[in-house]
Amino acid sequence: MAGSVTELASKLYDACQANFPSDHLFYQQDLLGLGVVPKNDLPLMLQCTQTLVDQKLFRLLAGKNDRLAWKIISREDADKLQNLSPDESLVYNVIHSTGRSGIWVRAIQTRTNLHKSILDRCLKSLEGKNYIKSVHNVKFPSRKMYMLAGLAPSEDVTGGAWFTDGVLDANFINSVAGYIEYTVSRKSWYEVPSADGPGKKRLKTGAGSVAMKPESGEKQYLPFPAGYQGYPTVGMITAAVNESGITPVRLGEESIVQLLEMLCFDNKLIALNSGEVYKSVKHPEAVKAAQARKPGGEDADEIDYLVRNGMTEAPCGQCPVFRLCAPGGAVSPETCDYFDPWLEKALGF
Amino acid sequence: MTSQNYAELCTLLVEDSFGELFGRIFATLERYDRLNLPRLKFYSRLTDRQLHHGLAAMIQQNLVFHYTSYDDGVTYYEANQHAAYYLTRSGKILEFIEGRLGQYAATLMSAIMYLGHASVSHLETLPELRPEQPHRNGINGEHKYKHEHEHEQDEANGEHEDQPNGIDSEHALSEQPYLLHPTLKTLAAHGYILRAREAHFQSYTDTVLDAERVVTSRPDIKSMKGKRLEETVIEKTLEIVKEKTDGDLSHGLKYNGVPRGAKQGRGAAQSNDPIKTEQADVDEDDEEDEDENEWSDNELGNDTVPMESSLIVRVNYEKLDVALRHCRFIGLAEQDSSAVTAEVYESLLRRIEYQTPRCRDTVEIPREGEEGEQYSVPIPLSAIAEDVDQQLDLSGSIGPMDISQPFSRRGKRPLEDGVNGTSNEGTNGLSSGSSRTYELDQHLCLLAQPPHNLTSKRIVGGLITWTVEYRYVARILRHLELEKMIEARYGDVALRVVRVLHAKGKLDEKRLQEISLLPFKDLRQVLASMQTGGYVDLQEVPRDAQRQPSRTIFLWFYDPDRVASGVLEDVYKAMSRCLQRLKFERSRLREFLEKTERSDVKGNEEQYLSEGELKMLEQWKAKEALLFGEVSRLDNMVAVFRDY
Repeated sequence: MAGSVTELASKLYDACQANFPSDHLFYQQDLLGLGVVPKNDLPLMLQCTQTLVDQKLFRLLAGKNDRLAWKIISREDADKLQNLSPDESLVYNVIHSTGRSGIWVRAIQTRTNLHKSILDRCLKSLEGKNYIKSVHNVKFPSRKMYMLAGLAPSEDVTGGAWFTDGVLDANFINSVAGYIEYTVSRKSWYEVPSADGPGKKRLKTGAGSVAMKPESGEKQYLPFPAGYQGYPTVGMITAAVNESGITPVRLGEESIVQLLEMLCFDNKLIALNSGEVYKSVKHPEAVKAAQARKPGGEDADEIDYLVRNGMTEAPCGQCPVFRLCAPGGAVSPETCDYFDPWLEKALGF
Repeated sequence: MTSQNYAELCTLLVEDSFGELFGRIFATLERYDRLNLPRLKFYSRLTDRQLHHGLAAMIQQNLVFHYTSYDDGVTYYEANQHAAYYLTRSGKILEFIEGRLGQYAATLMSAIMYLGHASVSHLETLPELRPEQPHRNGINGEHKYKHEHEHEQDEANGEHEDQPNGIDSEHALSEQPYLLHPTLKTLAAHGYILRAREAHFQSYTDTVLDAERVVTSRPDIKSMKGKRLEETVIEKTLEIVKEKTDGDLSHGLKYNGVPRGAKQGRGAAQSNDPIKTEQADVDEDDEEDEDENEWSDNELGNDTVPMESSLIVRVNYEKLDVALRHCRFIGLAEQDSSAVTAEVYESLLRRIEYQTPRCRDTVEIPREGEEGEQYSVPIPLSAIAEDVDQQLDLSGSIGPMDISQPFSRRGKRPLEDGVNGTSNEGTNGLSSGSSRTYELDQHLCLLAQPPHNLTSKRIVGGLITWTVEYRYVARILRHLELEKMIEARYGDVALRVVRVLHAKGKLDEKRLQEISLLPFKDLRQVLASMQTGGYVDLQEVPRDAQRQPSRTIFLWFYDPDRVASGVLEDVYKAMSRCLQRLKFERSRLREFLEKTERSDVKGNEEQYLSEGELKMLEQWKAKEALLFGEVSRLDNMVAVFRDY
């Protein structure tokens, strides 16, 4: 009898694997419906499933309305699980149940009711067997979290495409942002064909006064009229980024939108039609120039400042002891150390 | 309202412009506020003579308000900080007037400013307003010299308003009173000068209180009660105040909403295109050299009546602020659109300026988020079309509406090759006149685009009109100034953070990081340093009554109002420091400077000073100019934070 149950169980397993996708949730009806168990014998079927569960080929779950349900486990995984101690298996199941979002160590403890030292041992051995891995959660950087080794952490855990190992990948962001800015700017300005360019038109630039004088060789850019339809949409930008090959992973539109918003806050892009399309502030040449300048002298690019105003120029604007300054005081306009160098610098003598 | 820094600055300005006596009186009045003469004398420790002289002159300059109370008959004096502050803006105003209305108007304006207020008859006698201006070139200039000699003989009398030959010959325009009066009228028509009223010499509060007293003593008001009484009193008071302070001279001097003498086209800067839309037919050929003559010419036919010589005029700073604010708006437009667009914008703003008496109706700048929308008067598109320089190339500075070609083949696009701009737009099937209007509309649409939304379109009675949302643009200017400071002080990362906070409101660190995409370390550093500087702040929201830090949510926020008011104080202080430093630098070089100011040396520096001294003088002048320039740049910020 026992042998036949094992055989029948194995048949049932094969039939399940053949007829359903691997993550299908099986209810009793599904299993009976396969026609493997003779005469719809419910107790027999339950015996079979119990055998499979014991062999770690089935996972027992509670389905809707507290009905019993099962999921199949692939044979390789089952082999792995068979070798685990009961405690380990318990821990493994808990971790498995949380899927891609991972689980905090303390949560495992409360769910399994294992002692901390046992839990630690289990986790260690599971990690050693490369069944589970620890992950960084951006939201709770201090928590130790685990998930199955084969899974990729979800965006909630990683914080989206811009995080590498739970830390913002600034270089990656900057390179993608730079690429986007340039791409968008190429589509936001009308480039005057070089043939017609009477010198009286002033070259349009974004912020700085650098490129105000159009040299004969330089390209000229004109703004498009209001209501122009050709500005790039989020979809277009996403496609361009993914095609460009600067990203190792495919970026979703949400990630790109996130970056586009950041660029808007950086005063580089302007969102139009409530964020559907974007246009750039600077024209392509200026963008290129600005990006070329970045890696060089960092403090040399004063041109990149918005435009300077009275307060940023005057020595008082940067004075660290401005608050203390009073005529006749310890810090006073008469004894100020900043004015002379400033005057000298400004006047050049 | 008054802060220590502001008071200090005002005193310095008064002292710098008018000397120590004024400074002393002004400082005393600022420190003790309202004083009667004996008290003032006591505190300022000046002699009667000095005090009387000083006060009289300061009242003339409008630096001191005076008010004689009805109750006890005592006259009280009060410092007029506003007037004192505007001393620093005078240079800017004169520059503006010169650009707009020519050198002569600027000279006239400076004379009025210098005098505080002046009667027309007095202005007539002023030597600097007499005809020998070497800067006025062209035909008239030569003729002027001829007339000059006659004048000098007459001028002992000081009064000659209408020389008969002034009307006969065209070139007699150059005659002094004739030039003075049209210029005065032009200034009046633009609203840059006002009739001085008695109420201008007492503080606004006094005027209001007086008016209130008058109102409440009226029998029909006395019979009212409760809330109705309050409302009526406020309303009537405002009426009386308005009537008392109103010195508008522009009435009857405007023609179709354009002040007489307003130059069409671009003014002196582009003197080779003097377009006169009002009289579009006449004499473009022989007038090319002198823009300033246009209006004199225009008026020759229709108005030769001089200004009433007993009229007393003063400068209308409120109106000038409007004009200066428009200059800033144009600067904003220039920053991110083409020069042509900016010019179109200027035409629109000028039209608006004529109908805008002041920057805002409330005394204080309203709090962010609480200020309503305040649109300027709508200007019909056709009026702008009239004003914009006819030769301005409108089409050349906007790209085509549709690029059918993909961008990979750009540069080979045949669209504009050989075809000039006008025919490009001509595809719309519009006649050239209306296509120009259409192009103009396109430029204005461009300005209406985000992020600045410098204009907005309205359809009034089927006509396309354009307006400017003042509060919004003023707010943009304000934010821009703050952002400039933040960027300069804390770097572009800080700028991003601030802009995020401003757009999204209060955020906790995590959310802030997600939006700004900055690593925690950088973010915290920059937030902390900005908090120390007072630019952002932290709000604690405890989750329970214990207020433990671990159970508390911390929200970062950026309050532009708060920051701006702090920065404004800093700006005042920085202005004071520049002036004080200047004083100090002057004292360092006192002996040398005294030498250069000796009456025999002055004007003959080359002869009396050694080479080293000349160099030193040059350096000193540059230094002085730099410091004054800095003060004026700081004043630009004050204007943005306080006046616009």
